[in-house]
Amino acid sequence: MLEKLESAYSTFSSELENLNTQPDVLNHKSSYLGKKGQVSEILKSLKNATPEERQAIGPKANEIKTKMQIAIADKLAGIELAAINEKLAKNKIDITLTDAIKEKSVRHGGLHPRTLIRQEIEDIFLSMGFDILDGPHIETEFYNFEALNIPGDHPARDMQDTFWFKDEKSEEGNKHLLRTHTSTIQVRGMQGRKPPFKFIAPGTVYRCERTDASHEMVFQQLEGMMVGKDISVANLIYFMKQTLKEIFKRDVEVRLRPGFFPFVEPGFELDIKCQVCSGKGCSVCKHVGWVELLPCGMVHPNVLRAGGIDPDEYNGFAFGLGLDRLVMMKYGIDDIRHLQSGDLRFNSQFQDY
Amino acid sequence: MLISIDWIKDFVTLPEGLSPKELGEKFTLATAEVEDVLTVGAHLAKIRVVEVLEKEKHPEADKLNLVTFTNGEEKFQVVCGAANVVVGMRTAYAPLGITLPNGLTLEPKKIRGVLSEGMLCSEEELGFAEESAGILELASDAPLGQTMLELFNETQDVLLDVDNKSLTHRPDLWGHFGLAREFATVFDSKLNSPFSSEWEKGLRALITDSSAPMKVSVDSDSSCLGYFGLSLDNVTVGESPSWLKKRLKAVGLRPINNIVDISNYVMIELGMPLHIFDRDKIKGDTLFIKRNSTESTFTTLDEVERNLVASDTVISDSEQPLVLAGVMGGLNSGVDENTKNIFIEVANWKASQVRTTSTRLGLRTDSSSRYEKTLDSLLLERTLLRTLEYVLKESPDAKVNGGIQYDGPDLSKIETVKIKSSAESLVKQLGKEVSFEDMKKIFTSLDFHVDGDASSFEVTVPSYRATKDVECESCLLEEIGRIIGFDNIEPISPKFDVFPVRLTPAQKLHRKLRDFMVYHGESYEVMTYPMVGESLLKKAMWPVDRGLELINALSKDTELMRTSMIPSFLEAVSKNAKNFEGCKFFEIGRTYHADDKDFRKEKSMIGLVHFSKEETPFMNLVNDTTRLLDSSNINYQLSEKHPKFKNNIVDEQWKGVHPFEFYNIRIQGKMDGVILSIHPIVLKSFKIKGHVSISLVDMSSFEDREVKDKTKYLPLPKFPGSTFDCTVVTNADTEVAKIVGALSKLKIKELQSTKVVDVFTMSETEKSVTLRSNFLDRNQTLSGDFITEASTKIVATLEKAGYPLKQ
Repeated sequence: MLEKLESAYSTFSSELENLNTQPDVLNHKSSYLGKKGQVSEILKSLKNATPEERQAIGPKANEIKTKMQIAIADKLAGIELAAINEKLAKNKIDITLTDAIKEKSVRHGGLHPRTLIRQEIEDIFLSMGFDILDGPHIETEFYNFEALNIPGDHPARDMQDTFWFKDEKSEEGNKHLLRTHTSTIQVRGMQGRKPPFKFIAPGTVYRCERTDASHEMVFQQLEGMMVGKDISVANLIYFMKQTLKEIFKRDVEVRLRPGFFPFVEPGFELDIKCQVCSGKGCSVCKHVGWVELLPCGMVHPNVLRAGGIDPDEYNGFAFGLGLDRLVMMKYGIDDIRHLQSGDLRFNSQFQDY
Repeated sequence: MLISIDWIKDFVTLPEGLSPKELGEKFTLATAEVEDVLTVGAHLAKIRVVEVLEKEKHPEADKLNLVTFTNGEEKFQVVCGAANVVVGMRTAYAPLGITLPNGLTLEPKKIRGVLSEGMLCSEEELGFAEESAGILELASDAPLGQTMLELFNETQDVLLDVDNKSLTHRPDLWGHFGLAREFATVFDSKLNSPFSSEWEKGLRALITDSSAPMKVSVDSDSSCLGYFGLSLDNVTVGESPSWLKKRLKAVGLRPINNIVDISNYVMIELGMPLHIFDRDKIKGDTLFIKRNSTESTFTTLDEVERNLVASDTVISDSEQPLVLAGVMGGLNSGVDENTKNIFIEVANWKASQVRTTSTRLGLRTDSSSRYEKTLDSLLLERTLLRTLEYVLKESPDAKVNGGIQYDGPDLSKIETVKIKSSAESLVKQLGKEVSFEDMKKIFTSLDFHVDGDASSFEVTVPSYRATKDVECESCLLEEIGRIIGFDNIEPISPKFDVFPVRLTPAQKLHRKLRDFMVYHGESYEVMTYPMVGESLLKKAMWPVDRGLELINALSKDTELMRTSMIPSFLEAVSKNAKNFEGCKFFEIGRTYHADDKDFRKEKSMIGLVHFSKEETPFMNLVNDTTRLLDSSNINYQLSEKHPKFKNNIVDEQWKGVHPFEFYNIRIQGKMDGVILSIHPIVLKSFKIKGHVSISLVDMSSFEDREVKDKTKYLPLPKFPGSTFDCTVVTNADTEVAKIVGALSKLKIKELQSTKVVDVFTMSETEKSVTLRSNFLDRNQTLSGDFITEASTKIVATLEKAGYPLKQ
């Protein structure tokens, strides 16, 4: 009987191999494992067997039955998979026809490079606890000059070519203009605050200056100010170095030299080692190895007073950063006029930030 | 401004072995920015006297000669094109490697096949003349091998070109003596001042007390802060000696005659401008310093007729103005070759008045640029004596006539500026340890006087630093800081309380909008000019609003502040249409509006632009705009043009408004936004072929408000919902929103929404619209009966509204 079972299993297997459809496999299954199937038929004769024979054959018969069931299940799974795969093959697509290869492709857009730099610097200062402020572009002489220790007859007014408005109504000395620097925010910022405080103010500024590849009449600056008790020049240098390190992602060699700005005392110009020639001298740094980047200084007592702060009790520092210059340096932009051209051949290059 | 180091060395000994570059760098780090370092005369030390030995024709070129010559020791050969070369002449030879004043550096090169070892120089090439013909012809006894420097008794000099703007606050540095004091401090050297009391006594001894031939009278309402005058007789006017001419040329001044040159020399030396009159050209015996009092014309030294106003201060004789105070002398009273008797004026003027006059006339002179920095009246007398010293030196026969004349404010009443401070206070503000001794040394070297000890001292500021520059403790900090070198201060983190900071609502919103537009709107951010001009506005057929007009715009195209971004957008599209079949961009910027009360109002705007050559991008733009607003929690309603409620952003009468593609965006009841397509008639004017849609939202009213998170969470429904689809037939031009709207009054509380699934054009006149209604009851499974009842109601309502089911 054992032999019968063995031979039944081997014919079962070889027959199964040639079956390729689900109904055929199911028929095959019932012809062996069904109530009247071959295996059942063989096992019927078991009742005539001796208990010893039963003990030997029983487990073997079960084993063969299980093997058959597994083989059937495997076969069925294989047939289903083959059917699905065939369907997939029929519906095969050209996976190389991506958007990127198409003339009309959909891609994400891009931020303006000024925004990229501006947000990065904003985040640096936010992380150091600075608020971010802004104010009007159209300002009065008070905020742009007077409050910053630049009275009407001060020669420093010549340093900043100013756009003036037709303004018959405003009194002399408080006429309207386009702000020439973001320093206007120093006083506006101080007016609503009590020390200690620190803020930055990025924004658009205007200078009445002929435009060319490196000069714009409309550009962006970032003002910064910190006021508190016992603020020192060393603190100012600390923030400037930290900031530059973050911007350039490495230590940047800087030098501080005296610079005159009426709203700071002492005032400095912070130069950075030319990033193009590493200080050897090139056309970018006019062959001096240093690039002027950041005017800064300790806030002049008169400016604190204009902002309603007692200079005997508090002091502070302020700085200005030319955002456009950083943009130009970072991306090696050859012509500053591209920034406001609206030409998407320019703007579309800044997708990958 | 040019600083001559040779001149500086008159007053201070600089350390040996400093390169010109180091000199410039040190000055930059301690005082003011040196923009350029020029070396003068270095070439002359290498160009030597030679004698021509042979001259033969160049084998390849008719006009060139091969010239052989000697410096007494060696022989050289050059190719020379000069016509005046003759054997036996002595001339100047520049060897290889040197750089001539015209910028030419001599390098070994073959001229038509023959190697030339340098060149024989003309006067022009040596820098002696503007132009010259042929090579320099020297005397036959000029010593062979001698340098041009020795032969012509020239001086090698280093010139520092300092940015004038960086000296705005330092009137004392507008003269070489003041600069020398700075150099002395920076290089820790001693200032050798020639202005001792003996010097002064010696000069005063020459001044007689007899009555002066020319007196001065100063009106108190003039801009005069002090006026000294002195008369000299029997002056010899002639060419200046070479040392004087050399110095003036070095700093960029043109020598004229000895007397005029002395006045310029003293100004460059001491920083105080002065004027010398031909006294015989002055009518009367008194000079009147007064306001011009009427409008008049005046011809200045440069032979230009200037218009003077009443408030200008002039120096007049009994008949007419002779000098425009602090700015320039007149043509009618200057010293010329025939002058015999002179009058020296050394005066100080109010900075603001000089600046006003010179700015108005557009006349910036060496004199006005000094006066406008606010000069020190206490330096006037020294300047006068120095001038006298030089006049007597260069014109020994001259005689002082009368005493020093003075009129003007009482100079003894000028207050001395004293500033209290302490070492601790300065160290604290500096953030670096500096000893009181070191501070004292720096102050003293800069001519500041220190009284007291480390814990409390008082610094007396020299008068020439006290006119505007040094006025408070911070200024002392600057003096100490710059001399020890700001660069030497180590960075220190400040100690401060920690407060949370975050972006303001507007900043947060702007960032969100930008990110949305870039990643979802697939748009590029642009920035266009905030200023526009009439020609652009006319092109856009946009009304010209002159409410905010610049007086001094650089061009007509940028003289008005924009009241809308649309014209600039159209300009940008027309540019991009040349390169792209379509494009999408956006800008977050401002528009500017004249305001009766506050002069101006600035609106914070976002503008989205879609351009397509093929089909109208209006629907895409509407969807982008609404998604943008939805994503930012801005409450709005879209509405079509309304006869009563006008859009605040775009005038509906504007020719650029499309007849159909237009939505108002109503925010908090105000029509503060718009989505529209631009009418082809305006696109034509920009030569744009295609379709342009623009949406604009004025964010001013809501961007500063903190956005509340209104999310309300609901537990997930326990029972399934159900849907009902139906297709209705309607006219081709029926707006689908009307069909959906027909169901808005249907009261079935389980009906969650009805949306359009599909629109199918059946014929030219008819279309079918498939709608899907979604039902949900949170408390139970919807029954079959309910669905049947609800769908019957829906169909009936639609039918009643004129939209029958499709059969």
